[in-house]
Amino acid sequence: MPAALHSYTARRIAQTVLVVILTYVLVFFILFILPGDPIQQQIENPQNPIPAADAKILLQYYHVDRSGLDQFWIAFRRLVQGDLGYSLTTGKPVASLILQAIPQTLALASTALVFTGVIAFVIALAAAFAPSSVIRGIARALPGAFLATPSFLVGFLLLQLFSFQLGWVSAIRDEGFKSVILPALALAIAVSGPIAQVLIQGLNRAYGEPFVTVLRARGLGEARIVLGHVLRNAAIPTVTLLGLTLGELLAGSVVTETIFSRTGIGFLTQQAVREQDAPVILAVVMLVSTVFALTVLITDLIYPLIDPRIAARPIPATADQASD
Amino acid sequence: MTEQLEYSAIPRRRLPTLPPLLRGLSVADALALGFAGLLLVAVIAPQLLTPYDPLVPDPGATLQAPSLAHPFGTDYLGRDLLSRVIHGTWRTIAGSLVAVMIGLFGGIVLGIASAYFGKTVDAIIGRAVDVLLSIPGLLLSMVIVVSLGFGALNVAIAVGIASVAVFTRLMRSEVLTVKELGFVEASFHLGESRWGVLRRHILPNAYGSVLALTALQFGAAILWIASLSFLGYGAAPPDPEWGLLVAEGREYVVSSPWMVFLPSLVVVASVLAISHISHLLRERVA
Repeated sequence: MPAALHSYTARRIAQTVLVVILTYVLVFFILFILPGDPIQQQIENPQNPIPAADAKILLQYYHVDRSGLDQFWIAFRRLVQGDLGYSLTTGKPVASLILQAIPQTLALASTALVFTGVIAFVIALAAAFAPSSVIRGIARALPGAFLATPSFLVGFLLLQLFSFQLGWVSAIRDEGFKSVILPALALAIAVSGPIAQVLIQGLNRAYGEPFVTVLRARGLGEARIVLGHVLRNAAIPTVTLLGLTLGELLAGSVVTETIFSRTGIGFLTQQAVREQDAPVILAVVMLVSTVFALTVLITDLIYPLIDPRIAARPIPATADQASD
Repeated sequence: MTEQLEYSAIPRRRLPTLPPLLRGLSVADALALGFAGLLLVAVIAPQLLTPYDPLVPDPGATLQAPSLAHPFGTDYLGRDLLSRVIHGTWRTIAGSLVAVMIGLFGGIVLGIASAYFGKTVDAIIGRAVDVLLSIPGLLLSMVIVVSLGFGALNVAIAVGIASVAVFTRLMRSEVLTVKELGFVEASFHLGESRWGVLRRHILPNAYGSVLALTALQFGAAILWIASLSFLGYGAAPPDPEWGLLVAEGREYVVSSPWMVFLPSLVVVASVLAISHISHLLRERVA
């Protein structure tokens, strides 16, 4: 068994590294090699023309005159050395732009992740065990409603209610943690739908299993059965959604940070796409997809530890619930 | 149920029998179908639904609150907002349709190729799907839009390409599942060609779940297209488009909140209606 486990672990790690490298290749070719040279376009940009001297440096740095494959190798070798290139609009190094933006987004995404968990658990518990059938019905409908709601609507509703009507938190000024709460809530509502759905299914399945009858026969109270045993069993499959959720949180921050005037990764992405700043876009996409791939890898590898019933084997389609 | 009983209690007038697909619809089903019908009319003939021109400003009636004359109010140039929403429907809905068609077609071709040719082809397509799925859909569409250039059609194409992977994976697993079934194996042994089996047995069996995913993905495409237009990568002003209307209204959200909320609610209603119809289809067809 340990030998098989090791080879499985090694295979999964190799697979993850391959996917990350291939993702870089794909995004690089979409952005730099396909028709519509972003560097030449930026130099000739009528709104923000780059001085001839700077343009020459840019053209030399990116080796625009060489073939696509050469350009790729040059960029790849620089990447390995930790050089992510320079922004085409501001001329700043991409690495420092990303590093500056990460703390804002880290605070937002981690808070949103906690909110997501709380929202999903509350909805699922209400959908499965609320005493009133009306509340159960509403809770069951909520994940679908969340999935149908564009994140900008949630953002504007929260802003309207808490910033403009109640005046609890400024819509523009950064007030530390207080300013994180609303955007994190908006993000959490947008991504909690699938998790709540998986939890509801899990609760219903776990509640029908024989161990519940055994526990009841042993005299355990209903609350202890649900919170101590059924919930634990139902929560295990949501672990496989973690990678997907993190990816969605980071991608969703593009809209949320724009609405709440925060200057994190999402805002950086939004600016970069608007100005077709290819090196910045490439770096952001690689950051997000690497976080996703690593999270999926880690959840796959530790899943047998969380759920001992599952031997170390590929967990069927980690991202399958993406579309559900 | 109760409706059927009431009808049968009136013997004089016989209602024409409905096709089995429509029998026993609930109120929610009817609402969803009705809203989808309304969307269809707004796409094909928007002028039937509103008397106002979506592009003609009225300097005497700017930023009016919703009223009987202007149910959604007017925008900062005095254009009727409901009319702009109605005339903008086709950009979002037809765009989503284009996106779903691209995803569906790409997914069917790649999924069948992956399941049918096995080994090398399967490995290559499998890795490609892994790569595409490792980038969140909204972000992947942004990358493609940067390469294609901004615009309503390009956003639709980008969202379509970004959803190919999901369809490919579903199609591949459907084909593989059906391929292993006894009767399919039997028809191989009876000398039916690969394409014959595909056409006769595999595609009809995969139909239901692919249809359900298509409807689901249609709703997601609406949200993505609205979000990308909201960020300013899609349709350009003064063209009306749902996400763009929200972005335009954003400047006035404090004084005229309806400019943001009413177009957004239309987006929600559309996605809800389509996802409800997707459930209905899954129940009745699959």
